Formats: sequence, C-alpha cells, structure tokens
Amino acid sequence: MATRAPRTMSGKAVRRAPRDITHEGFLTHGGMRWAKVAGGLSVLATLAYALTDQAPRPNGGTALGYLLGTVGLLLIVWLSTIGLRKRIITSRPYSLKAWTSAHVYLGLSLIVIGTLHAGFQLGWNVHTLAWVLMMVVIVSGIYGVVVYARLPAQLSANRGEATQPQMLEAIRTLDRQLDTAAQPVGKGEADLVRLSLEECEVSGGLWQRLTARHPRCGNARARDAIQALVNEQMRRGPPDPALTQISFLLERKDAALAQARRHIRLKTQLEIWLYLHVPMTIALLVALTAHILSVFIYW
Amino acid sequence: MSFVIRQIAKRADGGDIIRTRTLSAPEISVGRGTDCDIQLADLGVMLRHAKLTQLAGGLVAVEATGGVPLEIDGKFVNRADLRVADRPGINLASHRLTLEPGDAAGDVAITAERVIAASDAADATAETEIFSLKGALPTKRVMAWTLGLAVLLLGLVLPVVTMLGRGTVDLPADMVAEAARPIPVVARSALQRALGVAPATARTAMQPDIVWTSGPMSGAHAGITNSCGACHQAAFVSTTDSACTACHKQSAVPDHAAAERMARGRFVPTGLGAVEAGIHKAVGLEQGRCAGCHKEHEGPGGALMVAQSFCTDCHTGLDARLTDARIANVESWETHPQFKATLVAAASDSAPRFERVSLDARPKEASGLIYPHALHLSKSNSVANMVQKQGLPAQNGALGCNYCHVADSDGERFKPIEMGANCGACHDLAFARDGGVVRTLPHGKPAQVAGIVRDFYLSQALAPRAGVQRLAFERRAPGRMAEVEAQQLRLSGISDARSRAEAAVDQIFSKDGVCADCHQVQRTGAANLAERWRVMPVTLADHYLPKGRFPHRQHDIYDGKTGDAACVGCHKGVPTSKLATDVLLPPVAQCRDCHGSSNVKTNVAATCDTCHGYHSGTDGATTVVAGRAGGSTTQPGRKL
Repeated sequence: MATRAPRTMSGKAVRRAPRDITHEGFLTHGGMRWAKVAGGLSVLATLAYALTDQAPRPNGGTALGYLLGTVGLLLIVWLSTIGLRKRIITSRPYSLKAWTSAHVYLGLSLIVIGTLHAGFQLGWNVHTLAWVLMMVVIVSGIYGVVVYARLPAQLSANRGEATQPQMLEAIRTLDRQLDTAAQPVGKGEADLVRLSLEECEVSGGLWQRLTARHPRCGNARARDAIQALVNEQMRRGPPDPALTQISFLLERKDAALAQARRHIRLKTQLEIWLYLHVPMTIALLVALTAHILSVFIYW
Repeated sequence: MSFVIRQIAKRADGGDIIRTRTLSAPEISVGRGTDCDIQLADLGVMLRHAKLTQLAGGLVAVEATGGVPLEIDGKFVNRADLRVADRPGINLASHRLTLEPGDAAGDVAITAERVIAASDAADATAETEIFSLKGALPTKRVMAWTLGLAVLLLGLVLPVVTMLGRGTVDLPADMVAEAARPIPVVARSALQRALGVAPATARTAMQPDIVWTSGPMSGAHAGITNSCGACHQAAFVSTTDSACTACHKQSAVPDHAAAERMARGRFVPTGLGAVEAGIHKAVGLEQGRCAGCHKEHEGPGGALMVAQSFCTDCHTGLDARLTDARIANVESWETHPQFKATLVAAASDSAPRFERVSLDARPKEASGLIYPHALHLSKSNSVANMVQKQGLPAQNGALGCNYCHVADSDGERFKPIEMGANCGACHDLAFARDGGVVRTLPHGKPAQVAGIVRDFYLSQALAPRAGVQRLAFERRAPGRMAEVEAQQLRLSGISDARSRAEAAVDQIFSKDGVCADCHQVQRTGAANLAERWRVMPVTLADHYLPKGRFPHRQHDIYDGKTGDAACVGCHKGVPTSKLATDVLLPPVAQCRDCHGSSNVKTNVAATCDTCHGYHSGTDGATTVVAGRAGGSTTQPGRKL
C-alpha cells in the first residue's frame, strides 16, 4: 500500500509516493487476500452444513438456512454494487482493484453458500429461479475473468497498429477502388463485383460475430468467381487487365475483412458475458426480492 | 430536335453538382460504357443499356439494348414509346432518367440522377455498431428492464394479485372427507410407505402463485398442490393449526396430551437451540404447532417425515419436567424401558381394576379365569384327543392358537374370547335330553341355572314325560352321550324332585362341577337355591400394551417359522404355562432381536412411530382415573 507523500511545500522537491512497479492483477491482489476470505467462508459454510442436524432436512427454512440465506443476500447486494463503485474514481476505502478482487472471489463463494442455503433442493419455482439466475451470473462472470485474462493479447496481436476506423477505412477504400475498376467490365463480371460491394457484411449477427465465419460472404464468392475467370482467360492468353485488377482488389479486401472480423470476434467474446452478467444480475435482484417476500408471505 | 442532358451528382457535403450537355442527335445511348451518350457509373447498368430515339409528335422511343428490360412506371418492358409531356421516368438499376420537354420547342430534357445511394457499408457512424455488440443485441439496459420486469410480473405481481383476490378455496371433496376420518390403525402402520409412493398429481387448477412453492408436496397433499390458499390463508402468517384442522378434524387426530401438560413436558432447549426457540417464539412460531412437526414441501414423504428426535427431545428426562408423568423416560430405542403391561388387578363384573406393571417385575394377572395353556396345547392328552375327534383346527396334533385367538379385521389384535365360540365345543353345558331336544344351561347366569335345574326336576315329578334323560357333564366325544346315561329320569314325588334338584345344582357348582373347570365358585350358604352359589367375576384384558401397536399379521412369519411356532417364538412361556395368572407377553428385548436402532444396520429399522402413534388421544387408548406412575386405570373390560 502506498504511503501518502507529505504535502508540505518546503521548497525541496516533493518525493513521489513509491508505487508498485510490477503490475499486479485483481486476481492476485493483496496476496490473494480475498481468495482466502472467500475460501474460508465456503469451508465454514460447508462444515456448518455437514455438522448441523437440520431437521427434518436441510433447506432455507432451518436456522442454518436462514443464516446462509442472509449471508448470501448481503453478498449478492454488495456484489451488484461494483457497477456503482467503478464509476466513482477513488482509492478509498478500497481501490477498485481490491474491490474487483473481492467481487470475483466472494462471487465464487456464493456457489457454495447459495447451494447449501437451498439444501440442494431445486424445482420449478421462483426460489430455484433465483438460484439459476445467480449461477448464470457467476458462470458468466467466470467466463468474463477468463477472457479478460486471455483475449486482450490476441486482440492486440490481431490489430497490429491499426485502429478500428482504419480497418473500416481500408475496406471502404477497397470498395471504392473495386467500383471504379469494375466500370469497364461486362454485366456478368460487374454483377460479381456487386456481390462484394453489396452482399458483404463486416460484422453480421451474433453468431457470425462470435465465430467470425461468413460462409455466404459476397466478397469471398466474388473473389473465387473472378479468380476462376482470370484463370480461364490465362489459359488462352493474357487475361483482361481490368479483371486482374479486380481479382487483386478482392484478395486484398478479403484480408482486410478477415482482420476486422477476427477483431470483432475477440471483442464480442470480451463483451458478450456482460450482456448476461448485468441483465441477469438485475433479474436476480428482482427474483431475490420475490423469493424473500414470497417465503414470508406464504410463511 | 436535341436532347438536353442534366446529370446530377451528389457532393460530399450533400449538395448537388449538375452538369448539363446538349446533344443534337435524334438518337442517344445510355449505359455504363465510356462510349455512351449518357454514362452511368453504376455496376447494375449494362455497358450499353438502352437507346432513346426522338419521334415526331413529342414521343421518345425507348429500347433496351443490353438484354435487360427497362423499368417504366413499374413495368418491365423491352421497348416503349413515351410521351415527353407526361414526364415519364425510366429506372436503370440505381439510376433514374426523367424525360420532360426542353426549353426550346422540340427539345427533350433528360435528368439522370442516382436514386439509390451507392452502397457504402463502411459508414463512419457505423463503427460502434460494427465493432461492439450494440449492433447485434439489445442494450444491456433494455435486457435488464425486460428480464427484471418479467421476473417481477411472474414471480411477484401475479402471485400477489392471485393471493389477494382469492376467496374461498375449493378442495376435492373426497380428500376433505378422507382427512376428517381417523386414520385406521392398519393403514397407519403402512401409511408412510404408502404416502411415499403416491404419485404426486395435482387435482386443482394451477394458479400463478404456484411459483412460490418451495418444493413438492407430500403424497397425501399432492392433490391440493395448486391450492396454496388452503394452507397459506393470510399473508405473512405461518400456516396455522386452524388451516390443518379445517380438514383434519380434531376427532381424527386427537391431541398427544392435554395442552397444559404438553407445555410443561416440552424440553427446554439450551445454547443455540434456545436462541432459535426464542426467535421462533418472537415471530409467533410457537412450539407444538402442527407444522412444527409436519413439514410440508419436503417431497412425497414430507408431512409424515418426523425425525425420531422429535419424540426423544421431550421424552428424554420427561420425569424431571412432568413430575406426575406415568410413563418412563425414553432416550432411544436401545434404552427403551421394559414394557409395562396393562394387567387385570381385580376382576369385576362392573368395575375391573387394571395396573400397568413392568414385565421385569414378573407380574401375575388376576383375570379370575382358570385356564392352563399347557393343558390345552398338549399333543397327547385328552384335549388333543378331543381336538382330533371334534375336528377342531390343530397344528401338529395340538389345538391351534388361532382357535381361540382369532385375528381381528385389522390383523393387528384379536377378537374377544367368547365362551360359546372358543370354549363351548368341548366345555358343553347340555344337562338333559328332553325328547329330541338337548337342554343347555345358560352361561354366565348362575341364578338362572339353579332355577332351570329346579324347574326341570319339579316338572318331571308333576307330569313325567317319556324320553327325558339327565345328562352328565363329563366332556366326551359326540355320540357317546347315551352310553353315559341312558336311563329314563324317574322321580318318586315332589320332595324327591326338590332334593334331587338341590343335589344337582350343588353338583354343578361344586369343586368337581362343570363351572369350576374354568371359574372360581363360592358357596354363599344362602337358603335360596338361586343365591346359594356365586361364580367369581372374570375380566380378560383386551389390550395389554395400549400405548403402542403391534400388527400381529405382519409378524405371521417370525424367525423363519409360521403358524403356532411363530406365535410361541415370541410368547415363549405359552406351551409350559399352567396358570392363567401367568403373563405371557414377550419383553422388549424380544423386539430388539429383529428391530435394531435406526442407526444400526439390522434386519428391520425401528423408529418411535414404528409402534407408537402421536395422535392417539391424550393418554393413549386408556382413560386416566387415578394418576401416579404404576397407578390404577380402568378400561372397558369384558367379563366372561
């Protein structure tokens, strides 16, 4: 922990507060302090569950059930406040890194606490809905931690020095060049070029973004067909220079598309979990409200 | 006769660039090719797409030359003559040519402009949509609101509306009727098993508040799974006993003990248990509620899944809290106290006295009856002979147990023993033959017997009839009657008859007479013949262990034995018992041979409710008249 520099203005150079030189991620923050806390909490809950005689059988209605339920509720409410915390730029009382570390590990301990609270009894009801939503949130969070640890390096490697607008601009420039290059060619060839110009999506739907696979990509179809024409002409003599130029441009567009689509795939993988994690958290908070109210309404 | 061509191009800032040319030719070509008069940089347009020719009369002939029809007024045609004054339009791929009269007479003005913007997929504003999920999914905010509201509606709003709007709850009538009936003993012993396998099918319509169910209902309540309001009658109030007793009438499930005694006898939790109990009490979950033991929503066996500790919690150290308890403490099956049999302490015709005595005290019973089991179960004596001759049910040559001990309809206990049904076949009370009629003395009515005998002799003295014989009471095989006393009864006069009658009555009641075989008889010495003899009362206990149940039928096979061998497998003293005062009940150790603790692996598990019921009335099956452990009780006894 950094010690605060004295704020005296004595005329001498103010010594900078020493900072950690080496990067320490949220997973290993503070010597895994929160991993130990969460692990201890889980072990404690498991021991209590195993050693307590819960008559007639364990569920949320026993003394231990209420205790685990209360702990779980407090954890869930606190965990959901990370969205608020990360918008407040401060280092106190805990740095965002410490907060995130606690968020991840305490969130994991909810698997144990929530499931023991339920006494492994699941059914088609609002109580199990809350458990399922909780598990979806946790599992999506685990996925998020994994992709945050692995994908940024790939993202960086794929984009090279190019920015997103540059990737798009490259494709746009190639489109313009293709449009110009195709003006002298006949209808058949021109229609092929139109495939590349009009039936070629960079991103596509969710599945295409996740896989970066575009089997009906207009550019790929145009490239193959034009290449075949060029090859055909080459067997008989020198090919039409316009077609050769188009073929070359289509190849370049293919490479530009591939890079952009890999970029989109990685970004989608990095973003997708939040589309589960956040809405499911809101749904969980509502389901939790219904769960708690209902068990006391139908006590 | 000229074409004035105005080609409109879009500037980057959105404005138009208009280039106007005049072609003084009657015919012009349109296409993508550089040699065309109107060149359209549109890959959808053919290199040479169309030809326009001015005709006389303000007409222009349009002809498709690229093999692709032209779109004119929504129709695709290969050629057409257009009236310029009508300002016709021709669509070619993304472009449109509009014809109109020119400024000079005879001129045709053609405006060519792109009407479908060139595909420019990589719009700068599209960057976010292309690279982030905003373009492929609804926003997180929209998803959160949608999901949250859906859960709120289905999980909270609809159930609450359902609950608040509910009037009376209709339950299946047969289930309600079933619940109001006491559970028959035979069913009770198999109830838990039966309920455990009952298919859980709901019989009432599903309602939105079903999503609040915390688990499947017990087998017995599965039918009303969807009728939450049957039990959950008020919001924030735990299921009350009145909700249970609405169907389960008090008479069907009597209290375990008087409420005041239950309150005193209940165990006092310590430590965390005390905290829990304090919280329960504070929130109105008093001990002793129906739902305190009968937990619902715990699966098919739920409502009857009562932990053994529920019993032993209170029955451990009960005597310290309930100092006048007449039952011993029970901590576990292993330390279950010796059975205390309810024995006849004093037989009586009107008010027999019973005592609960531990079998360890080797107690004797005073039923008043004389009955040696050993004699009746011999394989070689006169009883065995009689059994054979009479064709009575026998096992290995001896009288079968079930000749006297006939199972009741439940198969749990036995029908009462009756003189006529169980003894009469051998212990015959026929005393005379009067023509074709065998005259029999009434059982259990000594004064009547004296009167009947006296009248018999007097009538024979006054008006003698032929064919009247006095029979002896010796037990004999049928058909041998005549040989014993075949003589006609002849009397010399009234006084002879009177003295013969008195002698006969004395003989009947005396030590060697027919009554004294089974009964203790007392001579009162009264002058009146009808009051001279008194048969001492007999009371047979019909339930030795009324606080428990023992389904005999389930024990028909015991230790590999069947029939009487199985009976005496437990009732070991029976074959050698010479006195009816012997108490022939098996001790608790006998049960433990098979029934081990629920914690120990043995042949058959034993929990408290294997033998005991909870809702058996305030004091088991007996009624307290004088309270103290081992004190006297009365129960509806029977005299024989």
